[in-house]
Amino acid sequence: MAVPKIGYGDVDRLVLRALTPPGRKYWAFVALLALTVGAGASTWMFQVWTGLGVTGLRQPVMWATYITNFVFWVGIAHSGTLISAILFLFRSRWRTPVYRAAETMTVFAVMTAGLFPLIHLGRVWFFYWLLPYPNERWLQPNFRSPLVWDAFAVSTYLIVSVTFLFMGLIPDVAAARDAATGWRRRFYELLALGWRGTDEQWRHFSMAYLLMAGLATPLVISVHSVVSWDFAMAQLPGWHSTIFAPYFVAGAIFSGCALVLTLLIPMRRLLGLEDALAPWHFDNLAKVILLMSLVVTYSYLSESFMAWYSANPFERTTYQMRYWGPYAPLFWTMVTCNCIIPLALFAPRVRRNLKALFVISLFINVGMWLERFVIIAGSLSTNFMPSQWGVYRPTWVEITITVASFAWFLMWFTLFAKFLPIVSMTELKEGIPWLRQAREDAGARAA
Amino acid sequence: MSDGVCITGFFPDEEACLRGIAAVRRAGHQRPRVCSPFPSEHIPEALGLARSPVRLWVLLGGIAGCLSGFWLTIGLSLAYPHRTGGMPIVSIPPFVIIAFELTILFGALSGLVGFFVHGGFPRLAPLPGYDPRFSGDRFGVLVDCRGADRAQIEAALRQAGATEVTCELA
Repeated sequence: MAVPKIGYGDVDRLVLRALTPPGRKYWAFVALLALTVGAGASTWMFQVWTGLGVTGLRQPVMWATYITNFVFWVGIAHSGTLISAILFLFRSRWRTPVYRAAETMTVFAVMTAGLFPLIHLGRVWFFYWLLPYPNERWLQPNFRSPLVWDAFAVSTYLIVSVTFLFMGLIPDVAAARDAATGWRRRFYELLALGWRGTDEQWRHFSMAYLLMAGLATPLVISVHSVVSWDFAMAQLPGWHSTIFAPYFVAGAIFSGCALVLTLLIPMRRLLGLEDALAPWHFDNLAKVILLMSLVVTYSYLSESFMAWYSANPFERTTYQMRYWGPYAPLFWTMVTCNCIIPLALFAPRVRRNLKALFVISLFINVGMWLERFVIIAGSLSTNFMPSQWGVYRPTWVEITITVASFAWFLMWFTLFAKFLPIVSMTELKEGIPWLRQAREDAGARAA
Repeated sequence: MSDGVCITGFFPDEEACLRGIAAVRRAGHQRPRVCSPFPSEHIPEALGLARSPVRLWVLLGGIAGCLSGFWLTIGLSLAYPHRTGGMPIVSIPPFVIIAFELTILFGALSGLVGFFVHGGFPRLAPLPGYDPRFSGDRFGVLVDCRGADRAQIEAALRQAGATEVTCELA
């Protein structure tokens, strides 16, 4: 492996050049995304005004596209915390240039996910009924319900992710402030809160950051476990399973790492970050994806095995319908995308080919969205009573809102990447002595 | 009027900075201030700093969050005793989930508050001796001293490998 020669000053030049004023193409792209978001918002207003009858939700499938989107976006968020917090605790060096983008993705993905339980509500103005609040009748939420756990888990996750991202940004924003002029300087000054990089500030920063990473690690595992219990706590065949928590967490990391690739590969080129994001970073990310693909495949097999081994006719029927029923094309597409295509990542050549990685990541994104859809809508469509069975199909309302959710996520990410440091300069600089050592070791080995 | 000055030595890397700290301490100034572009394990050691009290903030915040979680769930379930799913009114296993989430939430937020309080944020006043290069590619050793000591400190910093030494009124 060729170890790059890089100095502290090079890091600033490398990262800050991504913050140069954007051109017309950039703003045209942002405008397109904003328009799509506007279309989604108008469609939601139409749904609120008219009622949930404008969606495809009918008995027995009352959870479908919106809840799929919710689980998908919460899952996407997880890889960010994995890369930023868990790999930080393991001192993985390869995460350094990747983690800020992943962490940013976490925040915007949770922001997107949080919209869907609200969109799914028929009377959205009563959303606060999920939370405890003082009222004259002393009515309180049912704390034994997974939906209430979810409200606590997802709001905690959003707040902690924002806090973690903001804290990590402070020293980098200060570096951007010291190099900027005009309104940008004032903007960075405001965000940097007067950071000067003194020994006292670093001492408290390092401790707070370490402990926050320590807190975020169990949090990330708990959040997707809680999301999985939204399903596993119900008696429905296809949902009521003890493996759901680890199965969902693995799926979340899998889909999230794939979206990191989908975003980083074009961003690397568009923002001129080729020197910071080297192929070996993507190689390591691809290895995580491959591992998670194998875990997810194992989970699919376990689920099917348990349905067969339980000898429970309802479980068996649900899985037979999953393989051969009306959602079978989606199921087999999911298997192809999540279990078969990622096997190509066993080849180091593929892991270092960014075009191939980009295409594989797109397949995984599609596959993981379908996985949630198959679990949610597929299981509901074949419940205990064959007389109640029914097939769900989304209407234009759900499709528009789903497309708009991707635009909403991308819009925030695009704005962030151009106005705030998307690669952590602090940690890149911290890694320079390690790079020097690696270069010396490589030189010694060659000699 | 005070004759206090702030002398700043610029160093190109961490090792040189550590030499600068040692030299200043040998010259009789036990607590120079240090600015660096990234956190270093060795600088706090060289300065003899204790571990940050932010950990206590996180611990206390976490304990408060855990207690609040149980207080909230048990208290409100007793206040509105509605039996669901055949489970007892006070069902500890599901309440542990809420208590766990609040432990993390309060721990993280109190860690942030602790960081702000001890780090002196937001810091509106300029820091004497600070140079924008300290967030880029330079380490700074800043010594607040009397004008009479200036020559001695400057010499110590230069001997330790400072690429530049500046002086301003404190």
